[in-house]
Amino acid sequence: MAPRPAATGAAPSEPAAPEPAAPEPAAPEPAAPEPAAPVAGAPVAAPAWPEDPAEFRAAVRDWCAGHVPAEWRRAQTGASEEEFAAFQKDWFQQLRRAGLAVPHWPREWGGGMSVAQQIVLYQELAARDAPRLVLAFVAIHHAASTLLVAGTGEQRRRHLPAILDGEIWVQGFSEPGAGSDLAALRATARREGDGYLVNGQKLWASGAVHADWCLLLARTDPHAPKRRGISYFLLDMRTPGVEVRPIRQATGGSHFCEIFLDDVLIPAANLVGPQDQGWRVAQETLGAERGMTMLELAERLGHAGFRWLAEACARPGPGGRSPIEDALVQDRLASLETEITGLRALCRDLVERHAAGRVGPADASIVKLYYSELLQRTMDFGVEIAGPAGQTVLEKPASSGWESGAWVLDFIGSWEWTIPGGTSEIQRTIIGERGLGLPREPMGD
Amino acid sequence: MPAGTADVRDELRAVARDLLARGQASDGVPWRQLADSGWLGLEVPEELDGAGVTFAETAVVLEELGRAAASTGYLGAAVLAAGTLAALEPDGEPDELLRRTASGTQVLTAALVDGTDDGLGGAVPFRIEDRPAGPRLRGHAGFVPDAAEAGLLLLLALDPAGTPVVVPLGAEAGGLTVIPQPVVDATRRFGLVRAEAVTLDGVAVLRFGGDPRAAVRRLLDRAAVAMACDSLGLAEAMLEATVAHARVREQFGRPIGSFQAVKHACADLLVQAAVSRQLVREAVRRMAEDDPEAGVAASMAKSYACAAAVQAAGTAMQLHGGMGYTWESGIHVYLKRATLNRSLFGSPAAHRRRLARRYT
Repeated sequence: MAPRPAATGAAPSEPAAPEPAAPEPAAPEPAAPEPAAPVAGAPVAAPAWPEDPAEFRAAVRDWCAGHVPAEWRRAQTGASEEEFAAFQKDWFQQLRRAGLAVPHWPREWGGGMSVAQQIVLYQELAARDAPRLVLAFVAIHHAASTLLVAGTGEQRRRHLPAILDGEIWVQGFSEPGAGSDLAALRATARREGDGYLVNGQKLWASGAVHADWCLLLARTDPHAPKRRGISYFLLDMRTPGVEVRPIRQATGGSHFCEIFLDDVLIPAANLVGPQDQGWRVAQETLGAERGMTMLELAERLGHAGFRWLAEACARPGPGGRSPIEDALVQDRLASLETEITGLRALCRDLVERHAAGRVGPADASIVKLYYSELLQRTMDFGVEIAGPAGQTVLEKPASSGWESGAWVLDFIGSWEWTIPGGTSEIQRTIIGERGLGLPREPMGD
Repeated sequence: MPAGTADVRDELRAVARDLLARGQASDGVPWRQLADSGWLGLEVPEELDGAGVTFAETAVVLEELGRAAASTGYLGAAVLAAGTLAALEPDGEPDELLRRTASGTQVLTAALVDGTDDGLGGAVPFRIEDRPAGPRLRGHAGFVPDAAEAGLLLLLALDPAGTPVVVPLGAEAGGLTVIPQPVVDATRRFGLVRAEAVTLDGVAVLRFGGDPRAAVRRLLDRAAVAMACDSLGLAEAMLEATVAHARVREQFGRPIGSFQAVKHACADLLVQAAVSRQLVREAVRRMAEDDPEAGVAASMAKSYACAAAVQAAGTAMQLHGGMGYTWESGIHVYLKRATLNRSLFGSPAAHRRRLARRYT
């Protein structure tokens, strides 16, 4: 039987654009003033959490002790797509009822936690090895930030409460011919009456089979320079002409999908920001999670990830000796622990500087690059330590992070970090150009 | 952090950078200038004419000294000797020595390691023996910073009961020899200190406050973190120099910094510097707060930042091309200092071995 790991998670966000164009000022779509509180989907009487970080930590710890499902990893190992989705939705609703699902959203939409509280929350969820919010990832981060930054009042009222109720989103950015060079995308959106007629093909849409809505980039002006003719849409995945086909990926799972768009009609009301300004909208909204998702992942790598690695090193092998008795193993483990400690501090620093408005133009790329490659090296070492026995682990639990103790699959899966969301090569270029001010590569356009 | 604020540190950094940029700091910063700057007494209490701030401020100076690859007596005096004196039971003599350290009227250093072990302080370098004629000091220490320049040496010794103590000795004490120990890095000076039956009549043996072994451990951690601070500043200087060069140096009709091979190498250095900064910051914070668990952070900072600095200086030499290999470019000064920093007060491997003891 071929290994078939269940879906493990939403891929990191799409690239921060490879072009080192200085972030342009926001294109504020003058949104109608928000009502004080949305009606439907509002969190009903979520508990009041302590503001004080130490008290909050204790309270979250208590909550986790009572709510993190026991043995969820076992239950999620070998789970079907349906079991995975049901588990994810249930976990999301538990967090939502506790007021912990969208801490980064504005208070009037059900969030409103301080940065200090969010840091503590993700540290504690990681320390308790709680399931990750995989399925809701794009919805609560990218869709929400897009709506909050660039959406109309109507779009927000339509979708933010629905996301709390479980609406799932997918990102439709990449295409077969537009990966690292995202702005080369060719899906077209032609104005047609009161809407746009969309044709094209999207790729690497993680979790698209479960998605209700899609964040879509399509070209509205084929004659403009490539970044100037793109528009940003909200696409209802039930619209006629939308077809989703899973792609089997290197791990054997099929989390990524292709989306085929054949004469799909999108109402003009679902345009985000002005027509032809979609690239700018995407630029402004991609980084809007402000480092918090990276902090969560770094905390998970530092807790469960390193703990399993240390346990694997301490486990006696066939001859009764454990790998940790080897000085070289000790050295490499200490080296990884040091680097993971550095990563966690880097993430905390990034989040805090975001909050203080002191974030540098390449800081997100530094963290993404370092996490991706450190994850890969850590999992690689896990594979080495696990030895031939590690090769017999054919499934990893869904709903986990990128480290699950199924070392070989985790290692293979780590390319989900070094490739999407701007490859490591693209990140190095961004760091060199935006972070260090090195001259740009001569480009074709 | 008790005294000292981020503003104080920013100010200190700006002043230090400016001052060190004026001369050729790697050829030597005069002692008088060091004393006048007030940096020697940063951690000395105000009532002893110091600034009364913490290791967090000392760390700023160390970083800037590394950035300038400055040749100074700072390591021996402000890091090792002042740190040692502050760890002693306060009484007349340590206080007076601290006062003289702060003012720069006494050039002093401390001999804490024997220079042959792993640099983590396995072996105390000197021992006091009870003899019928009175106590005698024996032993030797290597790589004692600025030993030949110091008028007073603080020697770490075991007393006859096996307890670590500190013996302050003038450089001219009978039976004490200080031999210069030249190293490839021209920005640092070391000496070999040997004691052969040195008479301790009339010498006040100084005792540590609290657990003596823990105090020694903290001193060595402090020295290790000091190396990490120096290496962090050094690595950042090398990255900046390399980026400046890659922006203007043209080959094949374009600046070499526009080539991905060069650009990506620089990007990797920036990432490493960012990680180093976090690890060093954490270690410095714990040292400044006298955290008993500071050793873990110290070992992480020392092993990572000192290795990253060698990488940074090495990459700088590579990306400067032929010019980078010349004496004139000065990059060799940084590369040599980076390798020295990495080996002093515990190699990366030794520090990781220490970290790994927690796994079993």
